[in-house]
Amino acid sequence: MQPPSGISEGRAAYKSGKLIKVHALFRDDEIVDIKITGDFFIYPEEKIENIERKLRNRRLNDAIEVIEEEMKDTEYEGISPEALWNAIREAWMRRK
Amino acid sequence: MQLRVIYDGKRGAYWNMAFDESLLVHLDEIGPTLRVYGWNPPAVSIGYFQSMEEEVNVEKAREMGVDLVRRITGGGAVYHKYEVTYSITLPEVKGRILDSYLVIDMGIIKALQNLGLNAKHHGINDVVVNGKKISGNAQTRKYGGLLQHGTLLMDVNVDEMFEILRVPEEKLRDKVIDNVKHRVTSLKHEGVNIEFEELQKVLVDGFREALNAKIYEDEVPDKVYEYARKLEVEKYATPEWNFRR
Repeated sequence: MQPPSGISEGRAAYKSGKLIKVHALFRDDEIVDIKITGDFFIYPEEKIENIERKLRNRRLNDAIEVIEEEMKDTEYEGISPEALWNAIREAWMRRK
Repeated sequence: MQLRVIYDGKRGAYWNMAFDESLLVHLDEIGPTLRVYGWNPPAVSIGYFQSMEEEVNVEKAREMGVDLVRRITGGGAVYHKYEVTYSITLPEVKGRILDSYLVIDMGIIKALQNLGLNAKHHGINDVVVNGKKISGNAQTRKYGGLLQHGTLLMDVNVDEMFEILRVPEEKLRDKVIDNVKHRVTSLKHEGVNIEFEELQKVLVDGFREALNAKIYEDEVPDKVYEYARKLEVEKYATPEWNFRR
């Protein structure tokens, strides 16, 4: 992900039993693009791609609702809706 | 429970991951299966959610002849060389992920105890001896079943491992490596010198005890191998899969 003008790039590594890494592009408080990686567990695994897709073009403050909705029928260890939200928020705070 | 056992050899990374997935896909037809195997050439497997470029020095791995593969299970990056690896497929269990790790990891713990070591479960998916990690484990639940695979380290060379695995902060490289040296152990480091084939048997015995299983050795039907070959070529050997994140 290369940030065009008006877009900032943020990265964070957030510990939550395991490590959640977020690499995101922001336009002000809007998530333009996001990649979530790490050594956590979530079933079904494909949910992470859904979450990434649904977070695009959403405002940071709406992200927690999107994440909670997507993760409500999943099982997970080393990640949680709150931890993922914190990781995204940290990436936003560290954006350049 | 009846548990089929496959004593496998040291095989390539793409085949290893393809065969494990095929055993899970065919679980309904062939029943629970425990496979014990190794890796040749050495390989790094990364977790489903990890980024290959973030976790691995890809160029160095290629130089050293180390294969790179993405697993269908979560968890972290693993350098596979001096170890026995197992995979086990079971009907899907309800309940918390952690609980199922506790049950299945008992197979490794029993095996280690039978070798005279003080082993216990640690964190979400590790087994430790005297507080140091000796086994990492990862599972997925799909196709109506559960697959868990994991390692049991016979030996470990942390310096060699970190020639290939990246550390998050290059500036802290020496500190990270030193830290890992203090947190990871192996059978050899614990004074147990055992051959690969012998350790496979010890591991199978550990699972037999832990799961109260009746063990039998039997070939799987050809179609399990055929599907594994398809997965090997069309999925696990492809950059689209291995570098997708």
